[in-house]
Amino acid sequence: MSAVDTIKQTVTANDVVLFMKGTKTMPQCGFSSRVAGVLNYMGVEFADVNVLADEDIRQGIKEYSDWPTIPQLYVKGEFVGGCDIITEMTLSGELDQLLEKSGISFDKAAADKIRETNA
Amino acid sequence: MSRTEKIRVALEAAFQPRVLEVIDDSESHRGHGGYQEGGESHFNVTLESDKFRGLSRIARHRAVHAALGKELVSEIHALSLTLRD
Repeated sequence: MSAVDTIKQTVTANDVVLFMKGTKTMPQCGFSSRVAGVLNYMGVEFADVNVLADEDIRQGIKEYSDWPTIPQLYVKGEFVGGCDIITEMTLSGELDQLLEKSGISFDKAAADKIRETNA
Repeated sequence: MSRTEKIRVALEAAFQPRVLEVIDDSESHRGHGGYQEGGESHFNVTLESDKFRGLSRIARHRAVHAALGKELVSEIHALSLTLRD
């Protein structure tokens, strides 16, 4: 299967996918770590794809999303953003809204706690 | 021209920003992935421009990536963007 097909299949088969450097339990980059940390803390179930483990995926995801950097978050097959955007959306509450709208369960109290701590 | 200057020049031209800050944040990533001796690997950019009005977050970031160009973007290890209209 080509890298694009693999990516397409991954973002279709999983509601939430994070393309990252390292894994959700062992991130290997501060930016990937921040996004995985937010999702973990909010109790969001997500698939992690370690781009460092596959050079074709690492290049392929940049083209697929038209986005030059990692991490990249997908929800319901749609590209949501990288670290800056996810951070902003977490703090503004837009990420909560997106998850709610997409029918993805998460811990609202934990999300509020992140906002409280960073207010 | 240093990368910091290249970024500044490209963004000035594309966005006529009210606010433009280009900070070389490489030192705080010393020893991490992508750090290069001499810095200029990790940047924090804050940009305020009328040109972002009506654009989604993703569209704003894409406009910045396009203004910087593929070559410069691929040279930089990490680019953190704060974009406001």
